[in-house]
This record gives sequence, C-alpha cells and structure tokens, in this order.
Amino acid sequence: MNAIECSHVNKSFGDFAIRDLSFILPSGTICGLVGENGAGKSTTIRLMMGALSADSGRLSILGSDNTSPDFLQVKEDVGIVLDEAYFPEVLNAKQVGAVMADTYTRWDAGTYQSYLDRFSLPLKKQFKDFSRGMKMKLAIAVALSHAPKLLILDEATSGLDPIVRDEILEIFSEFTREENHSILISSHIVSDLEKLCDYIAFLHQGKLVFMEEKDQLLEEYGIVACGSEQLNSLPKEAICGVESSTYATRVLVRRELVSPLLTVERASIEDIMLFMVKGEKGK
Amino acid sequence: MKGLLRKDLYVLTRQMRFFLLFLAIFALLPGYNMAIFAIAYTAMLPYTAMAYDERSKWSDLAAMMPYTPGDIVLSKYLLGWILVASATTLSLIPRLIFGSILPSYTGNPSALFLSFCVGLAVIAITMPLLFRFGVEKGRMGMVLLIVVVSCGGSGLVQGIAEDGFLPANLTTLAYLGIPLLAIVLTAISLPLSIQFYRHRLKS
Repeated sequence: MNAIECSHVNKSFGDFAIRDLSFILPSGTICGLVGENGAGKSTTIRLMMGALSADSGRLSILGSDNTSPDFLQVKEDVGIVLDEAYFPEVLNAKQVGAVMADTYTRWDAGTYQSYLDRFSLPLKKQFKDFSRGMKMKLAIAVALSHAPKLLILDEATSGLDPIVRDEILEIFSEFTREENHSILISSHIVSDLEKLCDYIAFLHQGKLVFMEEKDQLLEEYGIVACGSEQLNSLPKEAICGVESSTYATRVLVRRELVSPLLTVERASIEDIMLFMVKGEKGK
Repeated sequence: MKGLLRKDLYVLTRQMRFFLLFLAIFALLPGYNMAIFAIAYTAMLPYTAMAYDERSKWSDLAAMMPYTPGDIVLSKYLLGWILVASATTLSLIPRLIFGSILPSYTGNPSALFLSFCVGLAVIAITMPLLFRFGVEKGRMGMVLLIVVVSCGGSGLVQGIAEDGFLPANLTTLAYLGIPLLAIVLTAISLPLSIQFYRHRLKS
C-alpha cells in the first residue's frame, strides 16, 4: 500500500493554482517536499488532509480516498505538524493532552508524557509562554502520541536552531524504523531534507517539477564549471540549467549525457532546485 | 466533539474567568433584569470562543484532525446551549428557593425559560453569520442582530416576569411563540452553518 497517492490534482485560487499534481509516496519512506514560498507546499498538504477540496483529481491517503466517509477514520493514523503549533495560547501541555485524548481514539497518554519529558516541556506553563522550539516540540509530541502511520509535517523545522532541528530530525528517523511508517515533510531547509529523505519532490509555481529518489537525483545531476565556448560544446539535452556570472558559467548537467572526460562536480539538492528555477530563466 | 468542547471550555474559563464570575453573580442577584442579561450574554460566548480559535488558527489544525465540518460547527452550538442552560439554571435556583420568602425574588420564574429560548434564538441567528463571514466580518451584523433580538426578547421576558405587566393573551403568545421560534431558527441555522463552513473549506 502507498502512503500517499496523488493523481492529476488541480486546485485554482484565481491568481495561483496547483496544476496537475501527481505523485506516489510508497509506504515506509520519507519524502521531502521542497519549493519556494508560495510554491504550493502548504496547499498540497491541506488538499491531502481534506482541509481544502480539489477542483479535480484524486487523492488517496493510506489507501483511502480523502473524499470518502472512511477518511475520517484514516485521519486517526495521520500525525500532523503545521508551520505553527496552532493550539490556543492559554492552554498548557496538560490541557492539550486532555483535548487530544478526547480527539484521537488511540491517544496514548504514556507516550505523550514520555515525549514531554524527553523534550523537557513543562506541564503547566501556558502555551503562549513557550519558545518557538518548545511550541513545535509540543506539536510533534501530539502528532506522535496517537500511534500514527503517516506523519505530515509542514515547515515543522523552520525557525528552529540547528541543535533543536537535529534533535527533531532524529525523532523522525526513529519514527520510520517501523517499516509501515511514512513521512511527508515540507521544508525550506533543504540540507535537513537531504539528511532525512528517501525521495525529494520539488514544487515550483504550483507544478511538480520532479519527484525522484534522493540518491538517484544526486547521481543523475552534476555541475560543470566552464567558459562560454565549452558551454556551446555541451549537448543541449544534457543541460538542465545555466548560471552565468562575469567570471564563470556553471551548468547543471545530466551526468550520463556529457563526456566522461569533463570534470563534473557534485550537485546538492539545493543546487538542483536553484538551477532548475533560476537557470531556466537564464537559458 | 468532546475534545472541541473541552478546548473551548478551557479557553473561556481561562480567558474570561472574572467575566464568567460576574455573569454568575448577575444570575443570582434578585430581580430579573440582571438574570435575563446574564442568560442573553452567555449566548454570545461561542462567538468569543470562535474569536480565540481564529487568533490561534486552531481551525486550520482542527480541519486536519478526525472531525467532520458538522462536528466543528455543532460543537460551537453545543457550547452555546450548555452555557445558556447553565446561566438559566443558576438564575432559577435562588428564585425557586427564595421566591416565596424574599420579596426581591418574587415574580414568575418560568419567564427565565423564555430567556433561555431567546438565548437559543440569538445563537441560531448569529452562528451562520460567523461561519459565513468569519468573526471579524460577521461581528457587525452579529452585534446588530443581538441588540434587536436581545432587547426585544428581554423586554418581553421582563414584562412577563413582572406578573400582570403584559396582557394575558400576549403572555400566552410569548410562551408558545418564543420556544417555537427558537426551535425553528435552530433547525434552519445549524444546517446553514454547516453548509457555510463547508463552503469556506472549499475556497
């Protein structure tokens, strides 16, 4: 069973649209959803969870169509962390736990308490007095305390310091040690996704540019630094993006389509994204 | 839905504890003015709960939890009904105990039932506006409606509470008409609010 199946999904808001979005997240894997601000990452997540209705297309989460009545039951299996924690600010962690115990049928108070202890979160301090890191940790504790099979994380690590981010990424890694556990994580911090993810999906202006295995991407693409003459000698089908400056030209290429004699540097996921967006404009 | 109600009660008791205390005192005071005010005012507390939801963006999170739009809408109605019923019960207790002993508590306590119905009518009229336009935009229309319904309804109930103030046939009409109106308005309002909330989800 696939954790997420998204097939030809369209959603228009007038000035912005998600266009023909199709991808599959196999069960037991982690997918990083990347893209610039306003690329449609949060909209995609809201569409998946039925918080927004698609104009057309089909979305299936953990084997259930998200427009079917059964989907309410499936939501029990999905842990959600949004870009902010969104709990009422006067609640404390104990009260949040009580609310969630009445919300999720498989709520595990022991697991919740163990995450609160692990994150050193106070039980009785009001949520509004929490730091951003503490707020996100509370949201993660909630998301993990009702035995989810799928975690959907929307910018859950943004604005956190590297130490907290690392701690949280470690927890996500632990979560996927169970073979049927999957994660979809959207983030601006591509280096985090590079560490964590099996797949990378790149959204640009509401359209999916690619969704590929991370290792495959890193193998497939490379960067060639060259002059304008050498650029002209590169096979056109090998060029995926060009970045020109006064001093040099850098080209994102498909490794298998260029001469093995050329020096091809490693391209990071961030490089690939930037070249595909900026380089395309510069072509 | 229990979780949604619990969350709203936590928020209201935390944010408005002194205000709720004053409302309870008003409900217990002799005479009917303050009791009627307390009952009518509690009908507006779901609006306060919705304002706090909007401020914390709770609705964005709730839409991703195992709740239907119907659960989310009904929880706000239920909150209003519980609060109005609590204020009515609180107002009724001293009047039933002291009504025959203390002159300041004399009057017709059954008029409080009509206040309860006016409270339900206020909830039924205001909720669709809030679910359609949100708290900020729905506020003006809501305030206007509350003033008309509360003042008109409360004035009528006050007249009934002071025995003999209103003609008997008008009193009988009010006893039949106000509960019926509250039931009809609620029956129309609830599905309308769910429809408005669903529409907001789609857009």
